[in-house]
Amino acid sequence: MDKVTLEVVRSGGRRIRYDLRYRKGMTVLDALIEIREKLDSSLGYRHSCRMGICGSCGMTIEGVPRLACQTQISILKTDVIRVEPLHSMGVMRDLVVDIAPFMAMHKSVKPYIMRRNTDERDHSDREYRVLSEEVRRFLQFDYCIMCGLCYSACPTVALDPAYIGPQAIAQSYRYMADPRDEGWDQRIDLLDTSHGVWRCHVAGACSFVCPKDVDPAKAIQMARKEILKKRLLRRKARVGAQPVPLLSSGVVKQGVKPPPFDFGKGSVSRK
Amino acid sequence: MVEAIDHDVIIVGSGLAGLRAAAQVLSLSSGSGPSLAVISKLALMRSHSVGAEGGTAAVLYPEEGDSLELHAWDTIKGSDFLADQDSVWKFVSLCPEEMRQLERWGMPWSRREDGRIAQRPFGGHSYDRATFAQDKVGFFEMRTLYDKLQEYDNWSRYDETFVTSIVVEDGTFKGCTAIELKTGRFVFFRAKAAVIATGGAGQLWKFTATSTSVTGDGIGLAYRAGLPIEDMEFMQFHPTGLIPRGILITEGARGEGGYLVNSKGERFMERYAPSKMELAPRDVVSRSIMKEIGEGRGFKDEDSGLSFVHLDLRHLGREKIDAKLPFIKELSMKFTGVDPVEEPIPIKPTAHYTMGGIRVDGNGRVLDERSQAVRGLWAAGEAACVSIHGANRLGANSTAECLVYGRIVGEDIVRYLASDNAHPLGNDSSLVASEEDRVFRGLFRNETSSEDVYVLKAKLKEIMDKSVYVFRDEEGLTDAVREVKELKEKYRGVRVTDGSKVFNYNLLDTLEVGVMLELAEVVAQGALNRRESRGGHARLDYPQRDDTNWLKHTLARRTEDGPSFSFAPVCITMWKPVERKY
Amino acid sequence: MKKDPRYKSGLISSLNPFGYNVERWSYALHRVTGVVLIGYLMAHIFETFELSMGSTAWTNTMNALHSLGPLELVGLWIVAGSALYHGANGIRLILNEMFGKLMGSPILPVYPYSPTSLGRNQRMVVWTITGVVLVLWVWAGLYLLAGLGVV
Repeated sequence: MDKVTLEVVRSGGRRIRYDLRYRKGMTVLDALIEIREKLDSSLGYRHSCRMGICGSCGMTIEGVPRLACQTQISILKTDVIRVEPLHSMGVMRDLVVDIAPFMAMHKSVKPYIMRRNTDERDHSDREYRVLSEEVRRFLQFDYCIMCGLCYSACPTVALDPAYIGPQAIAQSYRYMADPRDEGWDQRIDLLDTSHGVWRCHVAGACSFVCPKDVDPAKAIQMARKEILKKRLLRRKARVGAQPVPLLSSGVVKQGVKPPPFDFGKGSVSRK
Repeated sequence: MVEAIDHDVIIVGSGLAGLRAAAQVLSLSSGSGPSLAVISKLALMRSHSVGAEGGTAAVLYPEEGDSLELHAWDTIKGSDFLADQDSVWKFVSLCPEEMRQLERWGMPWSRREDGRIAQRPFGGHSYDRATFAQDKVGFFEMRTLYDKLQEYDNWSRYDETFVTSIVVEDGTFKGCTAIELKTGRFVFFRAKAAVIATGGAGQLWKFTATSTSVTGDGIGLAYRAGLPIEDMEFMQFHPTGLIPRGILITEGARGEGGYLVNSKGERFMERYAPSKMELAPRDVVSRSIMKEIGEGRGFKDEDSGLSFVHLDLRHLGREKIDAKLPFIKELSMKFTGVDPVEEPIPIKPTAHYTMGGIRVDGNGRVLDERSQAVRGLWAAGEAACVSIHGANRLGANSTAECLVYGRIVGEDIVRYLASDNAHPLGNDSSLVASEEDRVFRGLFRNETSSEDVYVLKAKLKEIMDKSVYVFRDEEGLTDAVREVKELKEKYRGVRVTDGSKVFNYNLLDTLEVGVMLELAEVVAQGALNRRESRGGHARLDYPQRDDTNWLKHTLARRTEDGPSFSFAPVCITMWKPVERKY
Repeated sequence: MKKDPRYKSGLISSLNPFGYNVERWSYALHRVTGVVLIGYLMAHIFETFELSMGSTAWTNTMNALHSLGPLELVGLWIVAGSALYHGANGIRLILNEMFGKLMGSPILPVYPYSPTSLGRNQRMVVWTITGVVLVLWVWAGLYLLAGLGVV
């Protein structure tokens, strides 16, 4: 095809059509940038990295939330592409939505490593011992780029603005599964609320739209299992990963040596 | 009427260096510590630091053959001996602590068999010291730091607030003016201390690995305030940028064993760096690729007209690529349709890292033209030039620099605030009013505009791609300087066409292009002045390094007619310059 | 009720599964059948209550019901389908939510991405349920028609 039309829902619900010439490999973001630079400089949308890692360009394209920078126009199989702001978020201008509530939900689940010994965590020089298999238990959920697509796709979020959302629950589980974390009890109390994990009805839309395969639906069910383990089975929290012991001194392997220093020969001091 | 917002510390820019400085300030102070503000023109977590892929260098295992001296030597030799060696030593000594600190804060480093942090080989390093987290190290580091900041409540975040100028009077930082994109308000942030950590200027080029937001704003802030910026002509062109957009394919692909292959099927790096091959420093590899293309041994892409060579990862096997290099597999398949397990990836050198930046001293304090520290102003990360990377940066050293200098600056700020030297918050000055005038009345004039800012931007990128690329020569650079000056003249006739107050990206683009044009002039003129080839600055007409005349840093200060240049000596305390062969 | 200022939030949006995965369709159907069953439960309680009010009240109720004609059978058929679907899908949801089954375990994502929670196990169960429910529903329909003497 050689022509493509973008029908954009702008502020106030106006639908505006923009006609563009199609180039091979063109993405929806390419089209939006061309619109702002050549046709209409007042079109508002967010973008930054154009490679699907920053999460700025989330919008609803043909009814499903996607990242505009990695949505090829050719796979949409239509000449007229409907572009609207992300659902379930307040519109600030055209395609720019308010992500502050989404970020606030993330903060509310306390997504950071909690240790009893905060001095060791913040001011020592040791590293914790973590095996590769243990990393694999939470690494998938750490892929989250905070794009908000899962939050927008979730049917419960559409109904209930106070629901903490799939991203927050997945991040809370990511820390529960991290062997270094010792905040298991606190996280369970934060999730086990009336607007917490129990509002999920496993529609799976969050995992379906996630651009990084974080699979929040899976994280939410695994978080539920943790809650049931504590409430019904009365399990206790485990102790967090411990610092590795310092390697015994005297074990020195001879490595590559840099050339000898020439101190004091023509040194020029700066300040 | 300009609204004033008071804080003790403001951090402009929320990439690795900015967030690390914020985390350091917050973790050093208890509940009622200094009032901290993080200002960014994007939402937090959208900064380009998330695009960093390969690794972070640190001497984690001195017992196994690595040493601080070796890391320092690699960095200094990699910088083509333009790095300031005392700062390099400070830098390498602090890297290991940073890796371990991030680890305790939840960073999912890749591990060895025994549960310790793993490292992998990287270009230019004589020991496998690039600590990695799959191949998205910058992204995970940003996640870790951002999550860490969620623990504290005593800081304010100003997302999508664009800082338009800094106010420096009598050698003291007073505050900065900014536009809040959400409401269109013009505000004046007053602070005792500020950190500029806004990143480099990669978007000056068209074929670049950087986000569209990396337009050199912070460097422009210092430049416009009359502070010297250093070594801007040294731009690193990362060898493996994906055709046709320039998206980064990490150096880790070569670290894991990838080959660079020309159209004849040979591993051409043998001719240019026989001992290190593909793991030579980036400037050597970029020049080799461009030479191969120039001599006709490259491929050509029909649709975009770009020439390229191949990065061959097929021999690594599906399992290794899926375990160690999943992100570049995703990028390659998504944006070119090439599966690295089946076919080689088309790549070409892409504008990646700005070695230059705001001139700072070993503690990150910004220096003015008399080499005196400006009170209350620091710079860290890519926006600053300490200079650790000299004329060329080794891979995995930038994320390390951001972390180390973020921490150094954070500590220095806390010390400064506690000392008697901290000055009270300044009064509004006339500079604020004139800035408001420049931004709002100047750019929103009512006459019909004669120039389209997007056309100027496209022309600028074309000029930089053509003449200020891997190889430069006198004729190309003179043309570039002249054309950039013309574009600057045309910029005076630019008008913002979008009249909205809310989320006016047209205004943002216009302000950014203004900064880009000024920085492009500094880069092109600095490159024209420097008659030698050193590191990332390679001149076809002066192909040798000239230590007698040019072992010095370039400093540029803003005047009405363009940049005025002066020079500063390089600090050499450990190794004198020798021939740089790999 | 204050209007929710967010774009396209609310009941219609949450029940609109177009463009999404089959599990979201089954969520929408589960909700709708749930409402149908609640409606049927209330109607059934009312109807049975009338039984306790004496034979006149009961006869009147039954006549009112039969006066609907074919609609009564269609209504019962819809309720039958709802009960079958809601029950069977409910078992799948219990497996998902309470026991974490059919979701898969944490993996290292490999492009092209395919989330394990929407993977083969889950889909097999979804389509099996759909198939079984359809078969039983058709049979229920035939059973109701047999009551009419048609089949």
